[in-house]
Amino acid sequence: MELANQFRRAYSTASGPDLAAVLTPIATPNNPHRLHSFYQFTNIQYLNKDLHTNLFHGKSPKVPKPEQNAWVDIFAAYWEAVGEVLKCEDRHPGSSAVAIFTAWKKLANALIRGYSGSSGLPAWTLPCLYTVGKFLRTFAIKADVEAASQDSSGFGFQDDLSVEVEKNANLEEAARIMNRMFTLCLSDRAPIEESRKWGIYETTNLLFKTYFKINSVGLTKNLLRALNAQSDDLPPLEAFPKSHIVTFEYYVGVIHFLDENYAEAEKHLSTAWRLCHRGAFKNRELILTYLIPCHLVTNHHLPRKELLAPFPRLEQLFGSLSNCIRKGDLVGFDQAMSAGEAEFVKRRIYLPLERGRDIALRNLFRKVFIAGGFEEAKDGQPPIRRTRVPVAEFAAALRIGTHATGRTRVDTDEVECLLANLVYKGLMKGYIARERGIVVLSKNNTAFPGTGV
Amino acid sequence: MNSSAPPWRATAWAPTSTPVASQVSAAPAYIPVQARRSLASNKINHLPSNGSPAPQPNMSAADEAPRPRVEFPPAVRLYVQRCFAPENQVASVSHSEMQEKLRHVITDAAENHKLDMIDWERLALPQVMIQNERNKILANPSVSNWGMSSLPSSPGDTGRKRKSTDTNQQQSGKESPPWRKANNRNRFEDRVTYPSTEKKQRMTLDDSSKSKANLEMRKKRFEGVGYGNSGTSSPVDSPSRSVDPDQGPVVGRCQTLEKNYFRLTSAPNPDTVRPLPVLQKALDLLKKKWKQEGNYTYICDQFKSLRQDLTVQHIRNEFTVLVYEIHARIALEKGDLGEYNQCQTQLRVLYAQQLGGHPTEFKAYRILYFIYTRNWTAMNDALADVTAEDKQDLAVKHALDVRSALALGNYHRFFQLYLDTPNMGAYLMDMFVDRERLTALAAICRAYKPDVNIRFITEELGFESDEQTARFILDHSSEDTLEEKHGSVRLLTSKAAARFEQAKAEANRIVDIKGQI
Repeated sequence: MELANQFRRAYSTASGPDLAAVLTPIATPNNPHRLHSFYQFTNIQYLNKDLHTNLFHGKSPKVPKPEQNAWVDIFAAYWEAVGEVLKCEDRHPGSSAVAIFTAWKKLANALIRGYSGSSGLPAWTLPCLYTVGKFLRTFAIKADVEAASQDSSGFGFQDDLSVEVEKNANLEEAARIMNRMFTLCLSDRAPIEESRKWGIYETTNLLFKTYFKINSVGLTKNLLRALNAQSDDLPPLEAFPKSHIVTFEYYVGVIHFLDENYAEAEKHLSTAWRLCHRGAFKNRELILTYLIPCHLVTNHHLPRKELLAPFPRLEQLFGSLSNCIRKGDLVGFDQAMSAGEAEFVKRRIYLPLERGRDIALRNLFRKVFIAGGFEEAKDGQPPIRRTRVPVAEFAAALRIGTHATGRTRVDTDEVECLLANLVYKGLMKGYIARERGIVVLSKNNTAFPGTGV
Repeated sequence: MNSSAPPWRATAWAPTSTPVASQVSAAPAYIPVQARRSLASNKINHLPSNGSPAPQPNMSAADEAPRPRVEFPPAVRLYVQRCFAPENQVASVSHSEMQEKLRHVITDAAENHKLDMIDWERLALPQVMIQNERNKILANPSVSNWGMSSLPSSPGDTGRKRKSTDTNQQQSGKESPPWRKANNRNRFEDRVTYPSTEKKQRMTLDDSSKSKANLEMRKKRFEGVGYGNSGTSSPVDSPSRSVDPDQGPVVGRCQTLEKNYFRLTSAPNPDTVRPLPVLQKALDLLKKKWKQEGNYTYICDQFKSLRQDLTVQHIRNEFTVLVYEIHARIALEKGDLGEYNQCQTQLRVLYAQQLGGHPTEFKAYRILYFIYTRNWTAMNDALADVTAEDKQDLAVKHALDVRSALALGNYHRFFQLYLDTPNMGAYLMDMFVDRERLTALAAICRAYKPDVNIRFITEELGFESDEQTARFILDHSSEDTLEEKHGSVRLLTSKAAARFEQAKAEANRIVDIKGQI
């Protein structure tokens, strides 16, 4: 049996990824019949015996008996799951996504038992755990979709909030199993070289993905807390495979992002961006989706054209918005915001992007300041900009582009309010002298910090 | 017997040569005793038609099982092994029930010489069969009727279907020990008080820490509510409570209009649950009482019991929406945000089912509420909920404008909106208006120099009078920040800046409200 040969090869070279490939329930292009031939090599009656023979007899490396038994159990569960997958592919009556999920759950449990029990599967086989966990998630999602399509009656026995809860029943169950995988890795006390701790970030990522999907981002905090508590016993982040770390940092960044904790978010997202593989286009795009708004909020940086160029979707999201901010075009900014609102809200970036209006406003007021020109130069001295600007001039700038109908007209108090905010946020230096109706800006090219004037 | 039994009965129970697997899956009963009757008839061929031989098949099954001459193939043995494997145990099915069923399946197969024909590996485990059968019974009560009663049923029996379900649950409940049931997901508890899964965990923890005596007390109190016969039929003392989490809705029989609220600790007793017509009258009474007496403690308690009765009876219609909306508004008026939020959470689900009511009014409240609680993740979700159509609505538009004004620090706009709030949104805005005043003052103190007329603050920050403004400023800073000059009171901005900055930080700590999603 070919699968068994693959297994033996992977085992003799102790290659985790190769081993995980054996447990991948999809046919490969160069072997389109791999699942069929595996399923047909035996029947349920001789399953365990055949597995034993095929996996471990002959010139295979010496594997301890309990470990052998664990693998036989795992492959027996795998065999059944493959049976369900094939039934589904062949549209066999009685096949269902729920049945696949149920069978795959058994496999996941067998695998977990293999690690936690006396059989003690070695840590190098952890990629199997990732693969099985990954498909546990996909199969659960499919099962939920299937369940939802069948149970269209709407009013079942559920009550109250359970409408939303039931929708993800299978995925939630999957999350509980993944949580056991997480603990399995985190609580391993073996010496670090052969510890399952090396699997901690990948299993965490799996759970992150799942929690985001079932809309329980709050639960991710528990994982982070558990990780934090164990951080002394964990190898440094850099020691882990980059693929684990990029995903992990991305999610941690987004979690902070959602809490409006942009400084922290920026840190993690930048790490993810730095480590992300060049070719991982989709991932880079995802990271930027959150990193760009972060930058806008923390240090008011806008994405350059060259950065956005390779990502048409990001260009569409942020392109016109950044242009309007640069130009200080408030009307254009508002239009771009409402045009992209649905997408922004869906991606949860509306709130930080909205803050870009302050930058647009700053840029507009800066233009007013520059347009104000210079004071009469005293002899010999370099010319000084006019730092006393009437509030009315700022108000006039705000009216540019707006229709001067009564509704949209800005009154002086509101202009002052906007000015006060810029001062308060440190985007502008100076003060408002209310009684005289002027703004006194800071001299020596510090009126608009960081912009050269 | 076959000739005397109704036709549907005969097809279900007559020993036939159909494959066992399909026969089993089609078998509607779940009482093993019932099932074995087909076995017995197989052997004896004809049963006495009065159909009462429960003990008899019991014996025959026991006799049959250990018969040595049956050679069980390995697949069957594996199947039996799987039945007893601990990971395959189901909490709601007791060991003995499972064994009975297993014995039945195997002997049946042996009798019909099907041992080699059944795909034992695929055959559902007996505990699963039992569960499936139960579910089927619940889903189709007419099945339950003849599946359960040991007497031959007549069409007239259909009216008693609920009762027969109950008795059966009690039977099976006795079989399974209480610690098993503890594992069961108790949906009734979910429904009654916990608005979300996250909450549920917390609450359950809470529960376990409470003393048992406390729990007992509560139970007693609840039983005390029972009007009339709370005797034998009371599910409170029946052990069946969580045997079947999927049990259907309760149908209430209570006719009293007023009822105190008790958090359910077990399945509700129909005698203390009011049916819809009574609830409708109760709501009218409550509305009248609220207008006349305005006793919030009483009203809140009454509304909670009203909601509970709706919940346990699975009533979800316009009336449900009405009850939640009224309770939510009253809670808002009284500033009871915990209670308000519970209603709001439920309303969101109810509106999603298009049951009428005032969805936009409450969508607006929801946005204002999240501004108050500063729950940005939830705010994101709330924004995603707003449709283009909703935005046409005055209240929703107002709430969205409030949100964006605050996000940009535009206190000028914010207080204009505050003074012009539709519906009961002002109650919510009152909750955070002082916080925003402090935020605005912190900005004003940084931006204006050397001082500002207190009149300006009164107008800008929506105070009612200069006196109120002055008092607010003094409450949050000190006397030396105010100064009288040219016949007006002025706020010395640089002196006050640090104070308001501090006050703002304190006011902006995350608000944590009980019952928040």
